[in-house]
Amino acid sequence: MDIEKVKRVAKVARLELTDEELKKFAQDLEDILNNFSVLDEAPGLTEYDFNPVPVNDVLREDQVGQEFDPAMLRAMMDTYEDYVRGPKLS
Amino acid sequence: MSVSIDDARLRAINDKYRIFNQLIDRESMEADDSSSFTFSAKDNLCTREFQARAGSKILEGYRPPFDATPVRKLREAGGLLLGKTNMDEFGFGTFSTNSGFDIPLNPFDTGRACGGSSGGAAAAAALIEGHVALGVSTGGSISAPASFCGVFGLTPTYGRVSRYGLIDYGNSLDKVGLLSRSMGDIKMFLPVISGSDPKDPTSCTQPRIQISQRKIKRLALPKEALANISPEVESTFRYALEKMSLELGIAVHEVSMPSLRFAMPAYYILATTEASTNLARYCGMRFGVPEKDVSQHFNDFFSGVRSECFGQEAKRRILLGTFCRMVGFRDKYYLKSLAVRQLITKEYRSVFDEHDLIVTPTMPFVAPKFDEIAKMRPLEMYSADFLTIPPNLTGLPHLSAPCGYVGPMPVGMQFVAPHWDESGLISMGEEWERVFQLKTPEVMQ
Amino acid sequence: MKIGLEMHFQLPTKSKLFCSCSTEGAEPNTHICPTCLGFPGSRPALNRKALEYGLMITKFLNCEINERIWFSRKTYFYPDLPKNFQITMYESPLGEHGYYDLNGKRIGIWRVHIEEDPGRIKRVGKSGDEVSLIDYNRSGVPLVEIVSAPDMSSPAEARDFVAELLVELRHLVGLSASDEQVARCDANISVGEERVEVKNILGLKNLERALNYEVSRQTKMLAAGKEIIRETRAFDEERKVTMPARKKEMEEEYGYIGEPDLGEYNVGEFTNGLVLPETPIKRAARLQRQYGINAVTAKQIVITSWGMADLFEHLCEKIEPDKVVPKLLGPITSNWTAIEQRLDDNMRAQICRVIENDINGTITDSEARRAIATIAEGGNHVAEERTVVADELVISINEFLDAHPETIKDAKSNPKAANSVIGHVMKATKGKFQSKEIVEAVKKELEKRP
Repeated sequence: MDIEKVKRVAKVARLELTDEELKKFAQDLEDILNNFSVLDEAPGLTEYDFNPVPVNDVLREDQVGQEFDPAMLRAMMDTYEDYVRGPKLS
Repeated sequence: MSVSIDDARLRAINDKYRIFNQLIDRESMEADDSSSFTFSAKDNLCTREFQARAGSKILEGYRPPFDATPVRKLREAGGLLLGKTNMDEFGFGTFSTNSGFDIPLNPFDTGRACGGSSGGAAAAAALIEGHVALGVSTGGSISAPASFCGVFGLTPTYGRVSRYGLIDYGNSLDKVGLLSRSMGDIKMFLPVISGSDPKDPTSCTQPRIQISQRKIKRLALPKEALANISPEVESTFRYALEKMSLELGIAVHEVSMPSLRFAMPAYYILATTEASTNLARYCGMRFGVPEKDVSQHFNDFFSGVRSECFGQEAKRRILLGTFCRMVGFRDKYYLKSLAVRQLITKEYRSVFDEHDLIVTPTMPFVAPKFDEIAKMRPLEMYSADFLTIPPNLTGLPHLSAPCGYVGPMPVGMQFVAPHWDESGLISMGEEWERVFQLKTPEVMQ
Repeated sequence: MKIGLEMHFQLPTKSKLFCSCSTEGAEPNTHICPTCLGFPGSRPALNRKALEYGLMITKFLNCEINERIWFSRKTYFYPDLPKNFQITMYESPLGEHGYYDLNGKRIGIWRVHIEEDPGRIKRVGKSGDEVSLIDYNRSGVPLVEIVSAPDMSSPAEARDFVAELLVELRHLVGLSASDEQVARCDANISVGEERVEVKNILGLKNLERALNYEVSRQTKMLAAGKEIIRETRAFDEERKVTMPARKKEMEEEYGYIGEPDLGEYNVGEFTNGLVLPETPIKRAARLQRQYGINAVTAKQIVITSWGMADLFEHLCEKIEPDKVVPKLLGPITSNWTAIEQRLDDNMRAQICRVIENDINGTITDSEARRAIATIAEGGNHVAEERTVVADELVISINEFLDAHPETIKDAKSNPKAANSVIGHVMKATKGKFQSKEIVEAVKKELEKRP
């Protein structure tokens, strides 16, 4: 797990890491992933489940319902003329 | 029955043991004589009157506009919410030492950890009489603190209790459960918090919960569970098994579960891949700590607040989780872990064909001292969960029950039942409770 | 030349894909809730109608349906994405390997799936220095994504494909709003070997313009011996050119995982049992085949209105199609708004009678036209027609008789004298009336004169 790789992962995850942190995490991840290599001995599958118990066909009817007052929700956020403020785009 | 709380005493307990990061202020609240019991909510459960920070600085200031379903249900049943209990940041930890706020102290020895990540919840259950604590388990976060703090901790089947209002760690692994000094409370309140909730689709395919007493006869003990545990825990555990055999007529058979060796990697990979996506939303916009400087490019805007407010363990798990789902690694780690979950579930099922429950110690040691924890490397901490991880990975319901003491420090044993058989766990817990001498911590005068 | 398209259309559900907020237009940030804002502790719940619409579209496009489907998280960071991941479908689209027949040419459909829309960003400030203001009304609205094979060979063909698809889907599930609002496309186009992607094109006109520009740009480059770079470009609506897309700071890694909060769906049985209604373009093709009319006519009938196609088929039960068509394209079309409002069995029968009368010579073509106009306004064909006929004809006859009084005298002894009257009136009324009618009327008027 080299520093460059950790840098890339950190960038994807939007984490700014100091050089010290990069070194530490690179070592941690290396140790952890080495330990995890035991997984290579386990068989794989062709079909996957994403929950430990079956969760099938749970649907909600197409009905409009407003449980929360939008003004109250807007008041929780940083707004300008009812728009939510966001950062620079370029 | 109206609950009576000595506020001064509660505050004093909290000052000493740091259970709650937000505590009810009853003087400024209307007196509520209709409450029949008190409960607490782990800080990752949303409640309207308190902030919900999930133990993380990045959520400081977040006041949810809604109650989590389990909280709502306990309130409807007459419960008074005392406050939000301390925890590891987002559930990342085994000792509650990764808390972005206060670290709870073990009721039996304040130089030792409560366990985690529901550390505060376990301390509340141990220290406050007649109190039931809502905890959350992802890899063992109800069992571990229950074991270290000498209380009962029940983690229901995945999907049994609605997760609406739970701040996510791992969506296929999180379960809301209960910690208490008494099995009676757990038996009473588990059906209250359980049930289908249209707001959480994963709670909607459960069979209806039905708690009824039955005689537990055969337990299975996987031999893999006895490797790497401290001699004191092993002898306390074996003594408890003997007691069960003699006084309750319960037989214990040793079995082998070789697939358990894959459990820890599969768990950490699934948990951290899911967590790394759940935590993406914390970026200084809409809720939590705001990033005020909008003149920054959005990447810097996001990175700034995240880097400043996430703790080290959170960053480590985000990195690990992001990596394991990246192109080129996704098959080897993420998809393989999904396969392993099914493999281990299958192995559990074949054991349950011949046994009522599986029993193991809950943790490999008693609550460690804080300076011991400070010396642990990440892998060591992760490995401490090796007994609680397998039922959590597979979504099987499990109960940690106090089974003995090493000096003053509690030791727990963990029962695992088939999916949806919380009833079997409660039967076992009640039977054991009748013959076990539970010690309560000596609380200061 | 190869052109492929990735299209996004908003599905016409009442509530959003994962929460019950309304999908209608409104003031900024009014149709919002913790789920579509991505608040911690919130959770998605799938809209049944959105899934059904998605499956109808998938079946319509002749895809192989996936029995078992689930949703995935596509993680990337952007201010309009509340969770900084989008819930979409990655490994298990609703269907794959489908096709659409465009005027006899088969366009491959690679996949169809549904996903949530992010919020809408309003950019404020100077270009290069813009900050974002976000409206989350759009966040969580259901979209269908359709990915085609690069089977189109010209910008016009690409535009026709999307235009037709919109007509069909509008009828199939009720896609609303104008083409401009509804069609969001990413296009892949290669004149030579290398493929260029143009992203985020809004509307059909812009689609054709963007593709035409690319064709011209790529052709010029190839002619000059230059290599075409594989890249992503954006379309500048104002200047009508494509530009290299702003260099992103970094390559995003979506890191797809399954979405455990929704579980999975078994859609095979439902989809196999779906009976899709006949859609306009398909109906036009059938009308062409079944009634032997030409393609342009068939399309025009169907696209004018579904009701008109119904009327056409009804009339063809009794009348030759090629006799129905002119009336349909003529007076029925010009009076369609009025006809559509009042159309019932009685009106249908009357229109039928008018056309039959026209065919068998009882009335002229122009009479038929007037008759249909009358019927459209709620009037009755037979009675009023006679009245109109009477007035004009009588006037014309009497004008002649007044000018040529000797004809009256002659006609009393010689019946053939009436012929001059008949001849004149025929010329004067320019074929408005049938000869039989004129003969009758002349006879009548002559008898009236002493």
